[in-house]
Formats: sequence, structure tokens, C-alpha cells
Amino acid sequence: MKTAAELKHGEKARISDINSDNPSYKRLIEIGFTPGQEIELVNTSVFNDPMAFSIRGTLIAIRRNEADCIILS
Amino acid sequence: MTFDVAKRIPLITLVGPPNSGKTTLFNYLSGKNFKTVNYPGSTVEYYTCKMQDKFNIEANLLDSPGIISLNPNSPDEEVTVNSLYNHPEYGTPDLIIVTADASQLSRHLLLTKQLLTAGFKVILVLTMKDLLEKKGLTVNIEKLSRILRCDVVFVNGRTGSGLNDLIIKAEKNIKELSHEKSFIPYFIPEQLSKENLLSLYSEIENLTRAVIEPIEPPDIEKINKKIKVLNPVLQEPTLQPDLFTLKLDRFLLHKKYGLIFFFLIMTTMFTSIFWIAAPFMNLVDDLFSLLASSSSELLGNTWYSHLLSEGLISGIGSVLVFLPQIIILFLILGLLEDTGYLARGAMMIDKPLSKIGLNGKSFVPMLSGFACAIPAMLAARTISNRRERLLTIFIIPLMSCSARLPVYALLVAFLTPSDKPWLGGVLLASIYLFGIGSSVIVASIINKFSHKLIKANDNSSFILELPAYRVPKLKIVLKNSYVNALHYIKRAGPIILFLSLIIWFLTYMPNHTPQIDTTGLSHDEIIHAEKSERLATSYAAHLGKFIQPVMTPLGMDWRIGVSLIAAFAAREVFVSSLALIFRVTDDENIQSSLLTAMQNATNQHTGEPLFTTATVIGLIVFFIFALQCISTIAVSRKETGSWRIPVLQLIIFTSTAYLFTLIVVNGLRLVGVN
Ligand SMILES: Nc1nc2c(ncn2[C@@H]2O[C@H](COP(=O)(O)OP(=O)(O)O)[C@@H](O)[C@H]2O)c(=O)[nH]1
Ligand SMILES: [Mg+2]
Repeated sequence: MKTAAELKHGEKARISDINSDNPSYKRLIEIGFTPGQEIELVNTSVFNDPMAFSIRGTLIAIRRNEADCIILS
Repeated sequence: MTFDVAKRIPLITLVGPPNSGKTTLFNYLSGKNFKTVNYPGSTVEYYTCKMQDKFNIEANLLDSPGIISLNPNSPDEEVTVNSLYNHPEYGTPDLIIVTADASQLSRHLLLTKQLLTAGFKVILVLTMKDLLEKKGLTVNIEKLSRILRCDVVFVNGRTGSGLNDLIIKAEKNIKELSHEKSFIPYFIPEQLSKENLLSLYSEIENLTRAVIEPIEPPDIEKINKKIKVLNPVLQEPTLQPDLFTLKLDRFLLHKKYGLIFFFLIMTTMFTSIFWIAAPFMNLVDDLFSLLASSSSELLGNTWYSHLLSEGLISGIGSVLVFLPQIIILFLILGLLEDTGYLARGAMMIDKPLSKIGLNGKSFVPMLSGFACAIPAMLAARTISNRRERLLTIFIIPLMSCSARLPVYALLVAFLTPSDKPWLGGVLLASIYLFGIGSSVIVASIINKFSHKLIKANDNSSFILELPAYRVPKLKIVLKNSYVNALHYIKRAGPIILFLSLIIWFLTYMPNHTPQIDTTGLSHDEIIHAEKSERLATSYAAHLGKFIQPVMTPLGMDWRIGVSLIAAFAAREVFVSSLALIFRVTDDENIQSSLLTAMQNATNQHTGEPLFTTATVIGLIVFFIFALQCISTIAVSRKETGSWRIPVLQLIIFTSTAYLFTLIVVNGLRLVGVN
């Protein structure tokens, strides 16, 4: 099971599910990370955390542990 | 039953996701000038206003902090959701104008859908049409309006076009209102479950697919093109982030160099304050010096002449000399805010900050702390984790606010040799960096040792939208800086004026015409001798005896002590107080004559020079730490919900200030710096 935290720079993938174990999962959905959406890892910060994804035409930075609950198909 | 409009003024609330153009619209509708910023979370409190007269709608308008959904995640979002469901003063809104960024329609429609489901009366305003059009797309608003069953209009936040449509729709909606506020929006938690959110989103996706269309070519072209093959219609508009932004981020968010850019930008910012401001400062100085000298020439050597030229003009002038620096600080902060870079800064230092119990979102509050601690503490509302928020509020007073700038600038000018003017900017930047460094240390100490001090440990999270970069609009930034500077003068001006008068009185009375032996003395010497005699026998000198024991270990005397105490009313008063106490001649510029007077002053207690490199650095250290601002304490009380944190801040920071000054002054002397 690959998650968004494992994406490489510039790699694209489609979201298959959001793991509801992470307390932030609802906010992730609300902000647009929903199953079926294509995301791309565009930038990572110096310490590989947070990571910036391109989603729904915009850029959103989230922490690595939050990216880890975005499950990819 | 007739609808009695006069009885109740309807409330229109502006709601929308962060950075969707609410405040811009609010400013258009109210004719006011609230700050708009390219950072998600720039409005953290609601503002109310009457609708501008020219629109002929009697209504109260409310601007609110951005929310993503009706499920609040941080205190600023709670402000909005609470105001929607139960505004303490106005109740629920009669009409909601919800803004949505047309270029991010699917994400921004979530809130609109939730508001409609909750039963609110809604007008949807689509902003940023220009950005969507750049991508060759537009939104079919008639269709959208039909599907959503609410009014939809385009408003361009840059030009204001579309406002008339909005007014017409708002008028229509208000006419439809019933006489009493009978409507209660409903709030079902299940509505916010994962399943519900996901199905809401898939509904929205179908919807956006139906309404986002390629821009139709103008009619003439259309006819021409009819013969040729028509543009293939986009089936599913896949939106890409702004290309320019992606390119720029490759550098500014670069994994290795990103942080270097970050530090470069920050340091340039602080160093340039000193350099850019210099010529403007001279201008202000000349003006006040002219005023002071001409008024004393006009009135002669009398008490009222002294009151005017020394008490008022030189007191206020000595502070206003630094106004250019403050304006430039506001300008630079404003430019930085408007570019969209701040969110990147927050992202890059999230990791280091989270190590010391803060959050990447602490960055913007900390940065605005350089202007003023009060809005900075409010800005901390965007941090969802309570512990991180309280810790951020705790350290904000260590950010050197603009009130400290005059003090630093004077002391830095004292330390800067005239043959090395570049040193001033570097020194000032180091003061700022020192403040930041200390805040980091304080935060990590508190974070490590005291889980009791700041309790509450909920989920720490960092989710932040990175807005597209854009060229800052100079006009808006200038206007904001002007408004801020005016605000600064209005806040500090009366306090400085009032305290200057009090200090003048305390240092001038009761022995206002001292009897001294004037034989063989020149005119200037007479004035000088009179002044020291007057001061030595003044009320202030009597009071000073009590302060002296505290000041002696610092190598300072009561005259600095009085100025430090006066600075608790407003930090700038320190400068005007020094000017009042020490400056004698008025044939030179205010600042340079103050500096000369400081160089010549001797400690009344020991007879040694009073302002030395050691004591001046000690004073800088004092001002970095001391919490000398009553409004900051009040806001800290309000934002943290108890007296605990503000009292701790006052005690910890002020005692640290004294202790460190003691160590620095004596330590420097020990190693031979005097
Ligand atoms: N290009 C473009 N920019 C806009 C438009 N409306 C607002 N903006 C900009 O978007 C940014 C966010 O606006 P603001 O009103 O502060 O949003 P708020 O966070 O919702 O209050 C500001 O820098 C505005 O100048 C628009 O229609 N087009
Ligand atoms: Mg706003």
C-alpha cells in the first residue's frame, strides 16, 4: 500500500483512500484530498517535511505524517 | 403584517475559504480599508461595518476569518462558525455572501454546499475569474445558479467589476426576508462525517464538470471559425497550478537552497530598514530641529520656551525621527506578505519550529510581531494546536516590535563609528536576530521543562495552502503602510506627548529658575549650568534616589532609570525622555545633539562616563527582553483566556531583562570593553 509520503519528486498518482487513523484526516478531505484525485509531489522542505502537493489546481503543504494517511492506488 | 425594515437592520455576513477575496469584497462594499494579504489566514477576527451609502442598502456587513468547512479546526475558524450560528450581537446572518475562487472551484464549493444544506440564504460570489480565464476557462454561472439554487455572480477583486450585479442580487434577497428572525440554521454533525464529505465532493465534481467551460471566442471569430473545426471542448477540466509559481518554487522552495534564500530574504529585510531610512530620517530631524531652535529664539530663555522647545518639540521629534524606519519596516513586511512568500517560509521552518514546540504557522505571527505584538498575538489564532498557539503567544513579545525601533536606532547610532556607517544596519539586523534567537531558546526551555506551564496537548498538524506568487500591488502596500504608520502615530503620539510633559515637569520643577554663579561663563555655559542645577534639585532627582540602588549594579544612574520606567508607558518614551534629560543645545540637529550629550554625560553616582559601549549594549539587551507594553499584556490575557501567561511573561521577561543587562554590562567590563 503506497502512500503520498512515498511519492518521489514530480511523481503523480491517484488517491484511493484517506486513512481515518490520522486525526487530521477530515481536514485533508475538506481541503480537497479525496479518492480519485490526481496528486503530484512538487516540493519537499529541507528536512523532507512538510511536503507540497499539487491538487485540484493548487498547491498544499502538509506534514509527512499527514501525507502518510493519503493512500494511493 | 408588513415587513418593517426600519425595525431591524439585516445582517450580511461574508464567508469563504481563506484567500478567496472576502476582505477585498468587504472593502468594496463598506468603503473601508481592511488589510488584504496573500496568505491564508490573514483575517482572524470579524469586523462589522455598515454598507456603503451609495449602494442604497441598509445592512450591516460582517467580514469573517476564512473557513474551509463548517467544521472549525482552529480558533480563527471557530470565530467564523460561531458568528454564523450564534453571533452574540447580531444573531444569525440574514444573508450570506460566500466567496469562492473560480480557479479552485471544486475545493471552494464545499463550503457553499454546506451553507446551503444548513439552510442559510446564500449569494455565491466567484472571484479570481481573471485567473481562471488565464487558463482559457470560465464558469457558466447561470447553470451553476440553477444547479445550486442560489444566486451566483462574478466579481473581479482587482477592478470591482460585477459589483453592481451583486448589489442587485443582494437587494432582491433582502426584500425577500421575512419580518422576524425566525430561521435557525441546522447543524448536523453527521453532515461532516467522512462518508458525507466524500459524497459531497463527488457531487461537487459532477457539478464543476458541468459548469466549467472553455472561454467562448467572441462572436465575429465564432462565425469565422464555424467553417473551420471548432475547438475541441474540454471534457474534464484538469486544472494545473500557476506555472510561474511552480517555476519560482523550484528555487525558493529548493530542498537545499530554499533555507538559504529564506535567511537571505529575512536578513536583507532587517538590514535595509536602517539604510533606506537614513536620508528620510535626516529630513524629519532637520524639520524638528528648525522648529525647536526657532521657537526658543522667538521665546527666549523662559520656562514656556523650555516647555515648548525641550519638553514638546524635542521630546516628540526625537521619536518621530525614527518614523521613516517604522514606515519602511511596514512597507517591507507588506511587500513580503503580498507576494505569497510567507506561506513558503512557514512551510520551510515548520520542521525546526515543531522541534521546539511551535508550528510552521507560528512564523507569520512571529514575523508580524516585528511590527507590533498585538496583531501578532491575534494572528496566532490560525494555529490549531492549543499548546503551540500559547507557546507562540508567549514568545511574541521577544520579537522586536516597531516601538523598540527608535530605541535601538538611537543606541545603534551611538555605537556606530561615523567612519563605518554600514555597521549600523548590521548591528540592527543582529539585534533582530538576537531577539529571534532568544525566542527560540525560551520556547525550547518552556517546551522541554514545563508541561505544566502550558497544558493541553492535542493533535499537532500543519496543513497550509501555498497561494500563487504575484507581483505585490504597490498601491495597496503603500496604502496599508500609510494606514499603519498613522495608527502608530495615533497610538504612540498622545502617550509620548503626555509623558514628555510629565517628565519635563518632574525634571524642571520646583527649582525652575536656579541661582547660579554666572561670572566668567559664556551664554551656552550658563544654560548648561542652569539646566544641571535645575535637574539636580528637581522632583525627578528626589524620586531618582529610590531607583539608584537598582541602577548602580548596571553602571547606570537614576536618569536612565527614570527613562526606563517611563518606557513602560510606551517604549519610545525612553528616547524622548533621554532627549529631555540630557540634550542641552538646540543649535544642532536633535539626534546628533542628543548623541553628543550622551557621549558627554557622566554617571552622577560614580563620575565615570554614563553611556559606554558596555552600558549601551546592556540597554539594548534590556529592551530586547523587557515586556514594557501594557496593551500586549492585555491582549495576551484575552487571547490565552487567563492571567497565567501574561503574568508569567511580565515576570519572566522583565526579570530576565534586568539579569541579562547586569551580566552583559559587567561581563563586558570584565573583558575590557567599556
Ligand atoms: N487576481 C485576482 N486577485 C484577487 C481577486 N480578488 C481578490 N484578489 C486578491 O486575493 C488576495 C486575497 O484576498 P483577501 O480579500 O485578503 O482574501 P480573504 O482571505 O478571503 O479575506 C488579495 O491579495 C487580493 O488582492 C480577483 O478577483 N482577482
Ligand atoms: Mg480576509
